[in-house]
Amino acid sequence: MPLIGTPAGLVAQVRFNHSSARDTTQIPSFDKYKSGSGDASNRAFSYFMVGTTGALSFLGAKTTVADFLANMSASADVLALAKVEVDLSTIPEGRNVTIKWRGKPVFIRHRTADEIEEANSVNIKDLRDPQTDAERASKPEWLVMLGVCTHLGCVPIGEAGDYGGWYCPCHGSHYDISGRIRKGPAPLNLEIPVHSFEEGNKLVIG
Amino acid sequence: MPFKSANGTAANKFARAGYNTIVKRNSIFLTTIFVSAFAVEMAFDTISDRIWDNINKGRQWKDIAAKYSDE
Repeated sequence: MPLIGTPAGLVAQVRFNHSSARDTTQIPSFDKYKSGSGDASNRAFSYFMVGTTGALSFLGAKTTVADFLANMSASADVLALAKVEVDLSTIPEGRNVTIKWRGKPVFIRHRTADEIEEANSVNIKDLRDPQTDAERASKPEWLVMLGVCTHLGCVPIGEAGDYGGWYCPCHGSHYDISGRIRKGPAPLNLEIPVHSFEEGNKLVIG
Repeated sequence: MPFKSANGTAANKFARAGYNTIVKRNSIFLTTIFVSAFAVEMAFDTISDRIWDNINKGRQWKDIAAKYSDE
């Protein structure tokens, strides 16, 4: 009796060699499913799809970034408040005008020739915050500055004080005709806001 | 039906020429992608704006501003 063989109760199955002489394998024709447009066309189509996907993805990414930036930038109503336009022809020589800009007063003085000369005659070395008059007023006849005392933020009074300029009543700071601190507790000259002179005698602050 | 190659057709030659000019060098391929993205954006914006203006003709401020503005 053999040691290895068919377990008891099972009938041995006869297995035929698949690659027998009888040709049972028939490979079907895939011609129906093959692309008939040629290798170069297939390749070009694949790369076209790749390129189009890339272009659309880039467009989406770029639009997302642009939308976020547009959303974060200042809106039109904010920008409208950021600038103030002043008609300078209404301000006679030797007069002060106070306007409101971004919630702060701005002094505009149409200075006379004498005042300009006086502002230029000051020895810069003696000043607490040395600044020439030309640094402060790009057009010497127009002095534009923030009306906020650099000491504690009061609004100085115009055409007052020991130096013929501005005087802060809170703690007695005296500013000269160029808005420079000359006497009193304030450490700095009155601040000059960004401003420009436009055509038609217009001043734009901001 | 025997498989017939289309490698010699005119469309295939055109595709090969396009591949050789645009895709073969990656720098040119990428440049083409970015340039065409901007071109598509401009074309899309222009056409959609034109359609919108056409649908809302006479109803937008820019159409009636002349009636209310002195300048």
